[in-house]
Amino acid sequence: MNGGSSGISPCGNGSLRGTNNLFVMFTSPNSPHQRPWLTATRRRVLLTVRATVDKKNTSSNNNNNQKKDKNPNASETTGEQEVLLRRQTLSLDDVNPVGLGRKSRQIFDEVWRKFSGLGQISRTTRADDKEALDALLIREGPMCEFAIPGAQNTTVLVVGPTSRIGRIVVRKLMLRGYTVKALVRKADEEVVDLLPRSVEIVPGDVGDYSTLKAAVQGCNKIIYCATARSTITVDLFRVDHVGVSNLTKAFQDYNNKLAQLRAGKSSKSKLLLAKFKSADSLNGWEVRQGTYFQDVIASKFEAGMDAKFEFTEAGDAVFSGYVFTRGGYVELSRKLLLPLGYTLDRYEGLVLSVGGNGRSYVLILEAGPSADTSQSKLYFTRISTKVGFCRVRVPFSSFRAVKPEDPPLDPFLVHTLTIRFEPRRQRPVEGLAGAKQDLRSFKLILEYIKALPTGQETDFVLVSCTGLGVEPTRREQVLKAKRAGEDSLRRSGLGYTIIRPGPLKEEPGGQRALIFDQGNRISQGISCADVADICVKALHDSTARNKSFDVCYEYVAEQGRELYELVAHLPDKANNYLTPALSVLEKNT
Amino acid sequence: MAWRITTQLPTPGKLNYLSHITNPTITQLSWRNTLSSPIIRISTGGKRCGGGRAVVACSAGASASAVNLAPGTPVRPTSILVVGATGTLGRQIVRRALDEGYDVRCLVRPRPAPADFLRDWGATVVNADLTKPETIPATLVGIHTVIDCATGRPEEPIKTVDWEGKVALIQCAKAMGIQKFVFYSIHNCDKHPEVPLMEIKHCIEKFLQDSGLPHVVIRLCGFMQGLIGQYAVPILEEKSVWGTDAPTRIAYMDTQDIARLTLIALRNQNISGKLLTFAGPRAWTTQEVITLCERLAGQDANVTTVPVSILRLTRRLTRFFEWTNDVADRLAFSEVLTSDIVFSVPMKETYDLLGVDSKDIVTLEKYLQDYFTNILKKLKDLKAQSKQTDIFF
Repeated sequence: MNGGSSGISPCGNGSLRGTNNLFVMFTSPNSPHQRPWLTATRRRVLLTVRATVDKKNTSSNNNNNQKKDKNPNASETTGEQEVLLRRQTLSLDDVNPVGLGRKSRQIFDEVWRKFSGLGQISRTTRADDKEALDALLIREGPMCEFAIPGAQNTTVLVVGPTSRIGRIVVRKLMLRGYTVKALVRKADEEVVDLLPRSVEIVPGDVGDYSTLKAAVQGCNKIIYCATARSTITVDLFRVDHVGVSNLTKAFQDYNNKLAQLRAGKSSKSKLLLAKFKSADSLNGWEVRQGTYFQDVIASKFEAGMDAKFEFTEAGDAVFSGYVFTRGGYVELSRKLLLPLGYTLDRYEGLVLSVGGNGRSYVLILEAGPSADTSQSKLYFTRISTKVGFCRVRVPFSSFRAVKPEDPPLDPFLVHTLTIRFEPRRQRPVEGLAGAKQDLRSFKLILEYIKALPTGQETDFVLVSCTGLGVEPTRREQVLKAKRAGEDSLRRSGLGYTIIRPGPLKEEPGGQRALIFDQGNRISQGISCADVADICVKALHDSTARNKSFDVCYEYVAEQGRELYELVAHLPDKANNYLTPALSVLEKNT
Repeated sequence: MAWRITTQLPTPGKLNYLSHITNPTITQLSWRNTLSSPIIRISTGGKRCGGGRAVVACSAGASASAVNLAPGTPVRPTSILVVGATGTLGRQIVRRALDEGYDVRCLVRPRPAPADFLRDWGATVVNADLTKPETIPATLVGIHTVIDCATGRPEEPIKTVDWEGKVALIQCAKAMGIQKFVFYSIHNCDKHPEVPLMEIKHCIEKFLQDSGLPHVVIRLCGFMQGLIGQYAVPILEEKSVWGTDAPTRIAYMDTQDIARLTLIALRNQNISGKLLTFAGPRAWTTQEVITLCERLAGQDANVTTVPVSILRLTRRLTRFFEWTNDVADRLAFSEVLTSDIVFSVPMKETYDLLGVDSKDIVTLEKYLQDYFTNILKKLKDLKAQSKQTDIFF
């Protein structure tokens, strides 16, 4: 190579100097600068070229030697030799004026680029071979401040991709390297034009369950920012209520299918703790009674209590009875039998499918080494049921220790589950006010008890509303539909985040501090871009899982009417503001 | 292209323009040292040029009736046009703006390989060419803000895009009632009229001021992204690194930070019409940058130091000939390099003005460290995957 290049240079010069025609042929139209440069500073820089080529060769030779030493791989070295041979033969083939001229021009080009790069300030010369590197580093790669680890492997379904929030959500997801699917009602040209090209467009209607099956294929997460186009009740019902519930069903079905394919060992499948399908399934459950007071007076006025757990002819497992004793309770208890290899620490809570007459119950978990029950610690939480059947989600985090000095519940150690009824703190069931209710009697129909798989992240982000921006006459209907949609999502068993933004504003995001709140107290608007940002951030934020919250701009008082001085803003947008803001909010709301 | 122009306009010219758009007073700028520039004359009636040829063919902004008097159809304040969106800075601005919820339109030149990545991010791409002013007006319809980060390609004559194209763009923007115009200039450009690019930038600054467009001029020092190709990649590929022994210090800045600050400045009504200078946290000489790269890469660079005197000599030589003037223009920065000037400004005031925390601005050490950790990891992965020893990106 050494000899080759030094041979080329004068020859190339000769041809370049020779005739103008040839010269024009060699010079591409977009590089006029080489020509003058050749004429003026040919000699000196030629020397430099040769010098650098020499240097390069020696360094690469050294390099090769080093590599051989390190890695005495026979095939590799022969490969290298082959490459070298090929290069030499190529240069032999090129011994004609045109080839030599081209080659010399390439070298000049390279040297010239470097040379002229020195004389420049903020212009970056970019050659074509830099494009790939550029793509790797600046556009998608880790050097990009938008890059999110794991985004490449995540497919997000955006419902309502052309809505005010949706289109920004799609852009944000694309910028961060997610795979995006967009659910549109009709894949018209004008709709498709609105979306980035690499978005996969799935036609479908949230009002129609059958069309959603294809949409959720391969999705890991869903962002739902579709909203009804009108406030007509039918529209509201279809999009805001049934739409959400259809989509959660389709997504759960897809997850369940995946779980089945993996023989129930998917991280998405729930763990069945008890199913009350036959009379046999009642075995092992034990009915007990007791009182909180051990005094004599209580026993004197013993009014009695009774409870039974039985399998009715209708096929229901019913726990029923009454407690008239002051401070008395009855409970149904059983040691949990987990399938081999399963522990409850991989689950985040219990879900009970129950029916009955709407009393509230205390759930008690006993935790401790199963060999020695005397060391067990008790943890309790209160659940309320509805008249008729319902599913109750009880996260392990809601259990509190009976003795305040005990450590928080470790689900790994749980061995016994108890459902206790006590007449204290029962509330009359609404809607049955006419009928006389005796709050001391109860009836609980048990269908199943399952453990909910834990998930670190949210699966379904729903953009709802606070109702502030809606015209007052229709507000109630809109809110009703939205709340129904929210409820169906909460019950679905998916990890959810429900965002209720204030009235939306079309302005750039990240300008003003945001308020995160629960309980319908907000008063300000918020920009669409900020809502979109929260949606995208919530996807990978464990504190956002299973939360509903309102969000709006921070209230800024009019000039001269401030009550308080503003002490601090939320941190800059570049930081993750979501985690600290959400960590103080209630879960499972 | 350059060949044709220079042979047809052999007489050294003087650049004059009459500012006509808002005030009748004549502002005259002179382009002192440039030998090759033709006379560009912009007058109220249209344009007359030195050789009788229309070099700038934009008459949209020239006629008095085109001055935006009526408000016209309101445009959304979130609609922005980025000129030069495929460039190092342009793409960061597009990305940042999209992320902040703007509707971004990108003006790019028609090219065989279209800039698909911009479309993938969700921007709208329109084809136009600043050197063909008739293509500009259509792209400005419905636009509130224009961010101009275009610059000529290295192989083009320095004047076509950076002067003629920009003038045409500003005139069109004025005529179409664009409500804010952001222009990127070079730090200290008013102090170095001997460097053509800097002089052009300074002229555009003045032109913009006289045009009466609501504008923000942002002067930049240097991009960190440029250092990757210049130093980091050659060091990793064990190729020779070319540096100068110039004592000039430049406060490099991450283009992502520039984009962020730009958009903040854009929204701030107090900044309209002002001149901001963005500089990085610290000013570096070439030698310092190379040393830093060597340390981070864990290997010695094969440095070819070119004395500044050679650069200057080359420039002098090239200036003797008509057809080498482009080269001379390109090397003109070497004139600045000889002085031990510092391309940096204290940023405290700017940060306060924009409400930015100085801790959020990336330093060069951090930037290059991120680069090298990432690239070295990638290289290791690649090496593990294949036995290939030559890795080209």
